[in-house]
Amino acid sequence: MNVFVTPAMLAQVVVSGILSGALYAMVALGLALIFGVMRIINVAHGPLLMLGAYTTYFLYSALGLNPYLTVPVSMLALFAVGVLLERTLVFRVVDAPELSSLLLTFGISIALVNLAQLLFTSDLRSVEYLTGSWVVGPVALSKPRLVAFVFAGALTGLAFLFLRRTKLGKAIRATSQSREVAMVCGIDVQRIHLITFGLAAALAAAGGALIAMIVAIQPEMGQTWTFKSFLVIVLGGAGNYPGALLGGILLGLIEQVASLFLTTQLSEVVAYVLLVVVLLVRPTGLLGGRET
Amino acid sequence: MIRRGAALAALAAVVAGLAAYPGFASGYGVRATLQIFMWIVLASSWNLISGLTGYVSFGHVAFFGAGAYTGAILVAKVGWPWLPAALAGGVAAVLLALVIGYPCLRLKGPYFAIALLGLNEVLRALVSYFEGLTGGGNGLSLPTLDATIPIYYAMGASAASVTLLTYVIITSRFGLRLMTIREDEVAAEAMGIDTARHKLYAFLLSAAGPGIVGALTARDQGYIEPISVFPLATTITMIVMVLLGGKGTVWGPVLGAVVLFVAQEVVWARYPYVHPLLFGAIIVAVVLLMPRGVLGLLQSRYRLPRTI
Repeated sequence: MNVFVTPAMLAQVVVSGILSGALYAMVALGLALIFGVMRIINVAHGPLLMLGAYTTYFLYSALGLNPYLTVPVSMLALFAVGVLLERTLVFRVVDAPELSSLLLTFGISIALVNLAQLLFTSDLRSVEYLTGSWVVGPVALSKPRLVAFVFAGALTGLAFLFLRRTKLGKAIRATSQSREVAMVCGIDVQRIHLITFGLAAALAAAGGALIAMIVAIQPEMGQTWTFKSFLVIVLGGAGNYPGALLGGILLGLIEQVASLFLTTQLSEVVAYVLLVVVLLVRPTGLLGGRET
Repeated sequence: MIRRGAALAALAAVVAGLAAYPGFASGYGVRATLQIFMWIVLASSWNLISGLTGYVSFGHVAFFGAGAYTGAILVAKVGWPWLPAALAGGVAAVLLALVIGYPCLRLKGPYFAIALLGLNEVLRALVSYFEGLTGGGNGLSLPTLDATIPIYYAMGASAASVTLLTYVIITSRFGLRLMTIREDEVAAEAMGIDTARHKLYAFLLSAAGPGIVGALTARDQGYIEPISVFPLATTITMIVMVLLGGKGTVWGPVLGAVVLFVAQEVVWARYPYVHPLLFGAIIVAVVLLMPRGVLGLLQSRYRLPRTI
């Protein structure tokens, strides 16, 4: 317990919270897209993020690429993996009861983690490219986190532009509002599902690539990201895509503020209690309702 | 009637055989059978809330872990004998289910599933935090005691009780109401079923068994730690067992527990490194190829009774 919180400490946790919140928002947007469009909670979202992190790691360590240039490569690679998974397995459980989709994606999830353990071993690996921090007044800004924040913000912005402005993006939003009406309007819903799943995997991969430059990675790093992303979309309102942004920043802030007063273990408890309370009190999320 | 009599006689023979088994079996045989009993309890208990009532619990191992820690603390720190400690483990799990179920059973579909998944993570975090009582991440050791055979009988009795309980529920009006909730909760409410109360009862009943076998397992293994009693994989294993055998049936979880456990024993021994990969493949195959399970398939093909 820490009762002496100075304004400088508070400023530090707010800044750190916003920095990590942008990453949460970007990764969770992927989960929110799949949930909105396909009504599936993709438990394998975190492991897809892990694969993105390893793609960046190997491109950096084996080919010597600048790790920030590997971000789009990771995204493309995981887009392909996502498309493959959707076309072979996931599309079969789109209309099935939630137990089927939860279990199926869990099965995929443990298979991916196990594959990563076999291929990459469980050693901790890290991409040490940008280290240290910039000090601005009382606040220290970790360099890799700040760059990750910029990347995440830009990619999330691009994703929103895509959803708002392009024909394909509008088709995705239409499908998430009503699949039947989208079909009547001549939208190929199967194809939208495919693209959505690939896009979500790409967003997870971008998260993984950026995280690899911040902390050490290992095959089991993904699972907590699935839970955190779910928490973010619950906070923001499932199916409400701008809500994921708010939810991400909020989760980042809550975690950082909680870390001032509590141990990491108890911060997890706070996050859980928050999840249940929000689900009970405002089941539509803090912003409420589905996007119109 | 004759078929029913024959089935009962066969059942009696199996029970008698299992009761006599430790007299001539190897240590490994007793230990493996004891674990099958444990899985039957876990799978059948999950079946009560999720297979029968339709509320998918993704954190059912939380009750196992709560029972394990309650039992272990009572044995190691208070000095209780293991049998009352096991019953106390069951009581603790039911109390936990009461506290959790009251708010969480209002959640629908995937929200309920994920809320319970979170519950499990929270319990693990709390157990690690309260080191004074639980030993934290270092785990908790119980005084040594060779009680494998008495625990075998206790596990067997638990498995028989949960199976009997499932049979009684499925053949009762209470069970019919639970199945009505599963099929259509709004319609159930409109028919005058107090759905909140029924869901809660089913949830409490489904927590008792895992609590008891959790405490028995803690006693049997003599050492527990947070990661050994709260693994998500245990929840998934019980779910897959129920799906494989046939959810919402009496014998489906039993069949699934036996088949999957034996299959895992065989696989574990040969391919430990790719075990999760194979397990993932089994999950995917069960979900895609036989979502109603073996008994569900037989039921629809041969007009078997619903109460099988």
